[in-house]
Amino acid sequence: MAIGYYFIVSALLFSIGLIGVLLRRNAIVLFMCIELMLNSVNLTLAAAARMWGGPDGQVFVFFVIVVAAAEAVVGLALIVNLYFRRGTLDVDVPQLLRW
Amino acid sequence: MSNFEQWGTLAIFVIVGCLLYAVIMTVNRIMRPSVPSPQKLTTYECGVEALGVGWAQTNIRYYIFAFLFVIFDVEAIFLFPWAVIIGDLDATTRISPVFALVAMFLFIGTLLEGLAYAWKKGVLTWD
Amino acid sequence: MQIDFIAILPEIILTVTALLVLAADLALRGDAKQFVNPLAGLGTVAAIIATVALWGSERVTFGTMYVVDDFAVLFKLLFLGTLLAILAISWRYIAEHRFFQGEYYFLLLTSFIGMLLMPSSRDLIMLFIALETVSVPAFVMVGMRKRDLYSSESALKFFLLGVLAAALMLFGMSMVYGFAGTTDLVGIAAAISGETASVPLLLGSVMLVLVGFGFKISAVPFHFWAPDTYSGAPMPVAAMLAVASKAAGFAGLVVVAFIAFEPVADVWGPMLGVLAVLTMTVGNLIALQQRDLIRLLAYSSVAQAGYILIPFGLARTGPGAAVVNAAAIEAVVFYLIAYAVMNVGAFAVAIAVERRTGLRSIADYAGLSGRSPLLAMGMTVFLLSLGGAPLTVGLWAKFAILEAIAVDITLFGIVLAGFLVVNSVIAFFYYLKVVRTVWMDEAPAGLPQLQPGFNLSAVVVVLMVGTLVLGVLPGLVTDFSSVISIVAAG
Repeated sequence: MAIGYYFIVSALLFSIGLIGVLLRRNAIVLFMCIELMLNSVNLTLAAAARMWGGPDGQVFVFFVIVVAAAEAVVGLALIVNLYFRRGTLDVDVPQLLRW
Repeated sequence: MSNFEQWGTLAIFVIVGCLLYAVIMTVNRIMRPSVPSPQKLTTYECGVEALGVGWAQTNIRYYIFAFLFVIFDVEAIFLFPWAVIIGDLDATTRISPVFALVAMFLFIGTLLEGLAYAWKKGVLTWD
Repeated sequence: MQIDFIAILPEIILTVTALLVLAADLALRGDAKQFVNPLAGLGTVAAIIATVALWGSERVTFGTMYVVDDFAVLFKLLFLGTLLAILAISWRYIAEHRFFQGEYYFLLLTSFIGMLLMPSSRDLIMLFIALETVSVPAFVMVGMRKRDLYSSESALKFFLLGVLAAALMLFGMSMVYGFAGTTDLVGIAAAISGETASVPLLLGSVMLVLVGFGFKISAVPFHFWAPDTYSGAPMPVAAMLAVASKAAGFAGLVVVAFIAFEPVADVWGPMLGVLAVLTMTVGNLIALQQRDLIRLLAYSSVAQAGYILIPFGLARTGPGAAVVNAAAIEAVVFYLIAYAVMNVGAFAVAIAVERRTGLRSIADYAGLSGRSPLLAMGMTVFLLSLGGAPLTVGLWAKFAILEAIAVDITLFGIVLAGFLVVNSVIAFFYYLKVVRTVWMDEAPAGLPQLQPGFNLSAVVVVLMVGTLVLGVLPGLVTDFSSVISIVAAG
């Protein structure tokens, strides 16, 4: 199997995530799109690590996963807190938050 | 067995399966009595009628447990490569086994302080 | 693997301090909790001592991932000095506003650990970890005022944009790794320069990596978070974001741009130059219209990021490039040090004023000279220095950039210099407006005298003296910043 396919899939995933970030307005959906982008990065790294045969890419994937988890926890906590304060997660609703 | 024969077996299996389904359903339709009534169209013919909407809200208290789980679950990712190589270490390798052990326990100790923090803050108790 | 523990001693000290702070916060109760601040301060001083001891040495550890040279030591001292100042100005502020004190100091220290890692990183993985260690605690710190809607919203905005920038940067890094087959910065440079024709995909990836750092330094297309986040965050956090986190972004940008992507400097150099022009112009023009002092400082810090980006615009590759690049790095480092001194000072004064009165619009600074001469003097010196007035370090900082341009004069360099001068003039309008309000306008009746605590006064005095002394004797810093040029050869 040509390694190029993996890069194409990951580029597609990344684009889907990016388009989602630009179009969607719910904070949680935005965040999910960003997670999708991070996972497409993981796919690229794993494929590239396979291509080059070195451990660097795989180690990188580990760190990306861990950082993504930390970001998820922090982000969801912020989102839950904001939901308590305001009762909506639409990022267009807040007047303070000029997007 | 050639490639074609394998696929042939599969094709026969699929065709026979479809035929069997068609025959059974046809026989069923011909032989059964047809007495429709409104009761038969309700969701639970012999149960309690469902109330409210399909969305069920989970208590928000769960989310902190979920966070803690995610953090500790993901940190375990670093344990696996360590666990794979720790057995191969001895005095001749570049990393001594003691060093690897101490390093990993420092890492786990850091995580444990986080857990202790959560405990002390009362996150782990219910209510 | 032989790990050079001396080389990472400052980071170890700071980590241990952070863990101790968290433990102390659990052990202490009530008012005693505020004493985690001096604990953190002690750890910082110890880390500073450990860092100073590293001056002049060249240590490489973790394979080639981590390099401690004079460039790194200078940046680490800048970060640790800023940390000390921020600790001093947060003590009363955090204790009085009923923040989660232990958490605040823990997160602050953690964020600074990431900053210490940044200038030493010589590997994409290390850079990424350093950047995220800076960012993630900062997301939480911005949202520290949980009950405040404004704080929560600005934190969420900062978070979403920050994570988006990190994702873009990561995608760029993964493509660069796919191209080069190594995450080592020097190895990447070798792989790129081995390529004869230019590869569009690679150049795109390089741009994506630079975007991640562009967000951290709030360069213009990615600056939207800065004003809202600064004004929503607790003020010491805003000071940290405006100074330390920005300096960390620049440290990472220097490392990744001048080491890994040096062979394609012809492409990113002019691009960053254009960004510099956009950043300073947009920042200054919007700052002109601000009524809130923190938002003014935020846009002024955007503009300052534009000035600091100018030397990046001069970068080039090929024969004779080393001299130009070295001069550019030197200008960046000197400007960052000057910027830290004057901007932390300005935030310190703003904290002192806001702490007593809760006021933060520029009009509230009317008659500050009568209410607290020290704070009024401090504000004047810091703002004039940010503008680049004579006798302050700000002038020399701008001069350093012009000097870097003069090393090898090009048309583009002259254009950049022109924009720098014009923008400095524009900036004086809004800096002087605040200064005029402080000295000329009458104070509204009924406002109390301001009595900043000992810590705040000490910080303001030290930074004010620093601004003026460096304004007369810039050699005190340039003597050090001029020896760090080795990083370009890297």
